[in-house]
Amino acid sequence: MITSRKLVVIGVLLCLALGATIFLAAQTVQAIQQFREQHALRLAGDLSVNTISPWMTIPYISRAYNVPESYLLESLHITDPKSVRHASLQSLAARYNRPVEELIHEIQTAIETYRQQHPPGHSFASWHTSEFLAQERGIT
Amino acid sequence: MSNLLSTLLIFLQDYGYLSLWIIVFVAAIGVPFPISLVLLAAGAFAAMSDFNIVLLFILSFSALVCGDNVGYLIGRRWGSKTLSWVDDSKRWKRLIPAGTIGRSRNYFQKSGWWAIFLSRFLFPAFGGVINLLSGSELYPYRYFLLSDIPGEALGALIPLLLGYIFGASWEAIGDVLGYSSFLILSVLVVILLVIRLLRSTKSLEQVKAVKNSPLEGIQGTPAGAPAAKTSTGSSGNLPLL
Repeated sequence: MITSRKLVVIGVLLCLALGATIFLAAQTVQAIQQFREQHALRLAGDLSVNTISPWMTIPYISRAYNVPESYLLESLHITDPKSVRHASLQSLAARYNRPVEELIHEIQTAIETYRQQHPPGHSFASWHTSEFLAQERGIT
Repeated sequence: MSNLLSTLLIFLQDYGYLSLWIIVFVAAIGVPFPISLVLLAAGAFAAMSDFNIVLLFILSFSALVCGDNVGYLIGRRWGSKTLSWVDDSKRWKRLIPAGTIGRSRNYFQKSGWWAIFLSRFLFPAFGGVINLLSGSELYPYRYFLLSDIPGEALGALIPLLLGYIFGASWEAIGDVLGYSSFLILSVLVVILLVIRLLRSTKSLEQVKAVKNSPLEGIQGTPAGAPAAKTSTGSSGNLPLL
């Protein structure tokens, strides 16, 4: 009988679909947890430097890792910030004839040094404020 | 992160709006680019003042609609001819029963709109295939546009806004979006299968009831006449016995 055979086929397909649904539900929950953790780390300015990629720009890294742009530019010995505003690390590396991995490593070191110098309580915004006040009062 | 996505983002960062339009357009035609992730990233770049979010939306929306139209026209021009050839070909008739393509065409005419609309923002991975299929199945262009435009408005807006809101956490949001869209698809498949299972069970019970009935053969066909085909509703025109 075709109908009873069809019932078996539908039943098997339903079991497979239910299995896939349970698997995908677990993966979705896991992805939501990962997102929460990553977002919390980013808000705290504590994102891992290992996630720095060749597509990132200096302003992007500055915002994502809570490090002042001027600090990063200085550590990379870049004197003209406007010329690198929209340039990815890949194109910056090509421009300065350096391997991109080396450039990324230099940025990672700079961010870690900055974090050591400025513990979590010392925020990016307050760094900017102190830098501004220092410049205004002529303190270097 | 995949190398392809990294390359696309480098292209986006180095060449700006024009590169975004090209990437989105090519992806909408059917090239398997991770377009939702590119749009999420673009939204995040806009949050960091690298791009203008309104301009990003206008460009990505126009590129999506243009790409969909190209996909539809390719399907209409070559896909429909291929389907007609398959329908007429003797070699293919062994694999595909006669009238199957005609039935699928009728089915797409009736309920193709939701497939077009949902594939724009809920299941973007199927967008390119649905465009080709819409053209191949000769789905009316006017209705295609009516389903495509609101769908693509959502398709561009959702990832751009999420990227804009969550900034540098866009990669993690991309994972959530990817898994949740497949989860929704999976739940829809389960619902459809449950409905089909219930209908088939019901029709099986009806057949059993007819078979066990003492009036069988008296009420039905006259003696000696061939038995009439019984439609199961959900099972199309497959004979029950």
